[in-house]
Amino acid sequence: MENVETLTLDCSDKPTREINNIIRQAADDGVAAIEILNTQARHNIGVGILKPIHLIYRGHVGYYTVGLCDGVTAEIHGSSGWGVGDNLLTGEVVVEGNAASSAAPSLRGGRVVVKGSGGPRTAVYLKSGEVIVGGDAGYMSGFMMQNGRLIICGNAAKGLGDSMYQGQIWLGGEADEIGSGIEQTDPETGELEDVLATLERFKIKAPKTLKKLQSDKSLWNFNKHDFAAWKDAL
Amino acid sequence: MTSDFKRPPAYSGVWHPDAIEEIQEKAELGRYQIRGQATKRHSLPNFDDLVFTPAGLSRMPLEGYRERCDTQVVIGEGRVSRPLVLERPIMIAGMSFGALSVNAKRALGMAATNCGISTCTGEGGMHPEEREHSTKLVMQYLPSRYGMNPYDLQKADMIEIGAGQGAKPGTGGVLLGLKMSEEVARMRDLPPGVDQRSGCRHPDWMGADDLYMKLEQIREVTNYEVPISIKVGAARIANDVRIACKADVDAIVFDGMEGGTAASPAIQLDHAGIPTIAAIAEAVEALHDMGKQNEIKLIVGGGIKNGADAAKAIALGADIVYLGTAPMIALNCHAPIYLEDYERLGTTPYECQHCHTGLCPVGITTQLPKLMARLDVDKAAERVTNYLNAMTMEIQLFARSCGKNKVSDLDPNDLRSLTHDVAMMTGIPMVGLNGRKPWWQKF
Repeated sequence: MENVETLTLDCSDKPTREINNIIRQAADDGVAAIEILNTQARHNIGVGILKPIHLIYRGHVGYYTVGLCDGVTAEIHGSSGWGVGDNLLTGEVVVEGNAASSAAPSLRGGRVVVKGSGGPRTAVYLKSGEVIVGGDAGYMSGFMMQNGRLIICGNAAKGLGDSMYQGQIWLGGEADEIGSGIEQTDPETGELEDVLATLERFKIKAPKTLKKLQSDKSLWNFNKHDFAAWKDAL
Repeated sequence: MTSDFKRPPAYSGVWHPDAIEEIQEKAELGRYQIRGQATKRHSLPNFDDLVFTPAGLSRMPLEGYRERCDTQVVIGEGRVSRPLVLERPIMIAGMSFGALSVNAKRALGMAATNCGISTCTGEGGMHPEEREHSTKLVMQYLPSRYGMNPYDLQKADMIEIGAGQGAKPGTGGVLLGLKMSEEVARMRDLPPGVDQRSGCRHPDWMGADDLYMKLEQIREVTNYEVPISIKVGAARIANDVRIACKADVDAIVFDGMEGGTAASPAIQLDHAGIPTIAAIAEAVEALHDMGKQNEIKLIVGGGIKNGADAAKAIALGADIVYLGTAPMIALNCHAPIYLEDYERLGTTPYECQHCHTGLCPVGITTQLPKLMARLDVDKAAERVTNYLNAMTMEIQLFARSCGKNKVSDLDPNDLRSLTHDVAMMTGIPMVGLNGRKPWWQKF
């Protein structure tokens, strides 16, 4: 595949293992991009890719697309199933449609952009990097976030950011309920501008206002009574 | 006239001092108690309720020192390109760097390597020292995904999807702030010093169909090279086995309620899950129902102390036993040294369950450099190696005495039950009945 700029890969007659092996081989050979056709919402297409390559999915994709990858960029011209961008280390995934449950779970770096809406638990366990949702996000989005930035331009369902440790959530609309242990704070200088510039970069219409939410650290440690308890309890 | 006689305290059977103390403590604290190690219950059915029925006239035993008794077990044979070969039917259970000190992880790795068996990362990622010292290393893939990355998955010799543990099934991990050192926090992407409460369910799969897809993802990442197991706290065994079979795992791990932990709500330890011996019986039956008993290895843990427990577990149908607390004790846990530090914690050796505090007097479950230095890694590794060797010999002893030249050939016919409860649970006949009705019922 040397010297190939863009490879075309038709999934319709290939098992998952063969598809991923072709992508890995292309990345090894220095192919710049692969256009993936007939994705048919299949699962695990483009997982475990650890060398830079650009993936263009023409159609809907299933579970764990671009999961456990490093250095991969992708554009998905359709909607995605559960866990898109799962555990991405570096790279960028743009979903033009909607994303099902648990988009960008446990992201450790890079960026996942959902131009439509995200399902429940979008950016669950976000550890680093950035997740952007152009529309609404489902319940418990940002649950137990450990760091990074989650931007939701629309509304959020119940439990937004529940039990988050660190990081920021930017919310354009309203949340049905804010999760435990988070507070609204004033943006620091330049933070809002950076969020707006990021949205602009992906041609996502910015909401009129954006609220910044973060951990109030009340759940970082048990209280004084609890301290005594764990110290002395048998 | 006075008497020296003192009446013993007449404690209530309901409001025993332990119950009163527990209520008063909760009234003070406003939350449940947390502790380490394992359940305090004494009355659980266990392996002591079974005995072996070694050879006599009807079967010949093997010579103890001369005739070979094979102990090897292979996970994933014929299923993956790099199956996990264990020289003994023993694995060291998942215990995280964070719960344990790096010295303890090193020592366990060295001992496991000496014995040709595996260790397991536990939650919190793969510590490079553990990878270096353990030639066979299982990487746990847990709900929290702390330190998870595809590179470490590819370095592992088996992947274990953690979906629960026996000590606290249905709940997530706990690591209190004193153990959240800079290094532990960095590996977990958490702020140092926080009380970590991990999620209890995976963020991106929920049921049987999803699990199949998750397995496919991990097999893709690891190039179908290494086996994948799934670990569950022993509770709803039959259905869990069916789901694991559908997902096409290479091994199932059940952790009975006697299983250990570094920190758990105390009430969970004593009131959730089912005992290991019952878990084996249910799991074996379910595997047979699915026709997978020769294909999917059954690994069981929870309160296994010696070669008798292990051999009985194998005879009941387990392929491998999982050891966590026992090797920790071999490291030096509960050793009667540094007594003043036990006293400072309000405890003594043999009753200490303070893993959760991070103030382990013997340097095993701590991240404090001063305490960690108390564990001499080489000596600790030697102690664990000795213990594992002794245990292996004990397992072989029972196999040979039952006339088996492979430990894996031990079967339910080699056992009898001492109690009705265990006979009912396991289907192993009561002693004296030889699997039939009592002899006097003929008359």
